[in-house]
Amino acid sequence: MKKTWPYQKIFCTPKKAGILAYSGSMFLFLLYIFTFSGPALADNRVVKIGVYENAPKVFTSPSGKPSGIFIDIIEYIANEEDWQLEYVKGTWAEGLDRLEAGKIDLMPDVAFSAERERKFSFHKITALSSWSQVYAPKGSKIQSILDLNKKRIAVLEGSVQQSTFKQFSRGFDLDITIVPVPSYEAVFEAVVKGDADAAITNRFYGLAHAKNLGLEDTAVVFEPATLFFAAKKGSNEDLLTAIDRHLGNLKNNSQSIYYKSIKRWTSEETKFKFPAWVKILGLVIGIFLLMSLAGSIILKRQVDARTKELKLINREMDQRIVERTAQLAHAMEKAQEADRLKSAFLATMSHELRTPLNSIIGFTGIILRKRVGPLNDEQKKQLNMVKNSSQHLLALINDVLDISKIEAGQLQLVSEEINLPQIIEKALQSVRPLAESKGIELKHKISPDINSAKGDNRRVEQILLNLLSNAIKFTEKGFVETVAEADGDNIIIRVLDTGIGIKKEDMKTIFENFRQIDSGLSRKYEGTGLGLSISKRLAELMGGKIWVESVWGKGSTFSFSLPKRGV
Amino acid sequence: MKKKILVIEDNQQNLYLMRYLLEDCGYEVFEAMDGKEGIDKAASINPDLILLDIQLPTMDGYAVARTIRQNNILAKTPIVAVTSYAMPGDREKALEAGCSGYIEKPIDPDTFPVQVEKAFLSK
Repeated sequence: MKKTWPYQKIFCTPKKAGILAYSGSMFLFLLYIFTFSGPALADNRVVKIGVYENAPKVFTSPSGKPSGIFIDIIEYIANEEDWQLEYVKGTWAEGLDRLEAGKIDLMPDVAFSAERERKFSFHKITALSSWSQVYAPKGSKIQSILDLNKKRIAVLEGSVQQSTFKQFSRGFDLDITIVPVPSYEAVFEAVVKGDADAAITNRFYGLAHAKNLGLEDTAVVFEPATLFFAAKKGSNEDLLTAIDRHLGNLKNNSQSIYYKSIKRWTSEETKFKFPAWVKILGLVIGIFLLMSLAGSIILKRQVDARTKELKLINREMDQRIVERTAQLAHAMEKAQEADRLKSAFLATMSHELRTPLNSIIGFTGIILRKRVGPLNDEQKKQLNMVKNSSQHLLALINDVLDISKIEAGQLQLVSEEINLPQIIEKALQSVRPLAESKGIELKHKISPDINSAKGDNRRVEQILLNLLSNAIKFTEKGFVETVAEADGDNIIIRVLDTGIGIKKEDMKTIFENFRQIDSGLSRKYEGTGLGLSISKRLAELMGGKIWVESVWGKGSTFSFSLPKRGV
Repeated sequence: MKKKILVIEDNQQNLYLMRYLLEDCGYEVFEAMDGKEGIDKAASINPDLILLDIQLPTMDGYAVARTIRQNNILAKTPIVAVTSYAMPGDREKALEAGCSGYIEKPIDPDTFPVQVEKAFLSK
């Protein structure tokens, strides 16, 4: 701000200058400051610096720019002091010669020695501390100076190290071959190529390059040295003073360019090398991962494809289910329709069969009553056969009708108070002529503890009649007894006979449709084979059960129960 | 004076059977082979009892019974359904249509005269 003020004044408009004239003394004071701080800018000091190759202390970067710790330091100071630096490249020896001849102002990286002090001037604060160190290929097992016996050592030609190492090794009486090379680069190269067994460099160069070339530092360290910028004896004292002043500050500040530079140039490049097994493992894992990746991609594709397929199948299934449901609904309708047709058919059949039966039974009865005229015995016998056959046909029609009514759920039962004495009396009356003709005694016993039961009187009578006619049918001699008794919540009606009985294997099927003992062409006993099936269904419809106990050859007992409270 | 019975029945054998049994019992029997004829004869004869088959051609027994009941003269005449219809509800349907009794086919020659005699009392 202070420096730019006068320039602003110069380009100001007259009006503005007029205003500023009031602060004239201020203006003069600022002008004074500007004038006396100006010469550094106007008259830059040119400082020539020698450069040689000793990375990382001083060297030429691949782009041709002088670099390294010494260069960083001098450039910082030059910037602060407004020096204009000029670099003069050459070998170490050339650099020292030029310095001595006054062709350059400063030479970096010069180790202080009494001998050199005669030719050169040094500043006082050490720029860098270094030492010489022996480097050898990894695994060389060089641990001390003694291990260097009979070894070839590469060393920088004309360097302090060359002379000092000679003296150093001579002191141990070792046979060491010195291989002089023109640069530090060549020193390590000689070991890498096999021209030397070990190499000597300063610690900075070693730090920066040994690892990359497969070399390692050994415990052989010598020639500690303090390094400085050197000037020609008796000249450029102001430069050395400035260097000391800045170095003092730089070294006191851990964040300064000095430490940053050392860190930048000396820190090992972190090139971590993996052991072989790690590499192999990594490769294996990599391959495995790659394979599993490929596998998972393939799997994913397959899964996708399968999912697609499944979705398709699913859709098809859904469609099929819908179709099938529709078909089933249609089939159901058809079945229900068929059921209605069956019922209608049975009703019609029943009617159509009964109509001719009506006249057969009617006229047979009339003739047998001799209302038309007298009959001889043979006519009477044959007409009785017609009558019996037509009665059987009628029973069959009635039973089939009953079964179909039950199966169609059309059989309507009434729930009424059962009049058991009356039912038994009626049923016995119906079968008495048959029993008497066979000489079978009919007995009955009604237990007094029967109070009441509910059911359909007509259907209870139907069951009892069926059981009674069966019993009489299958009994040749003895008796048939009807017993009614109470049993808890039920009443039980039993029909006992002294007939042929039922074989065990027949007992299971006896209540099925069209089952008749001894069934076949040689059927001895008449009957529709539906009576027990109908009786079972009727008993169940009224909330009861039907069952049989029998001993083959001795007789049977058919029983059915009815709940006292009804269904 | 003999009681007049009108038998409406389309089956000739059954018609003959009933006529035989009824005449044997001393009734005067009139015949009709279908519903229309039955209605006309009922109106002209004014019988004491009508025996009516339910399954008849062109016009069933239920319709015949309903029509006869509409005739004031015949409103109280007993009509007995003689039918082989045996499905549930048949009896109820017949009574609903105006029949006063129900005899199930096939008829029994022994019991039929008794059933008929009882039918005169039904209304």
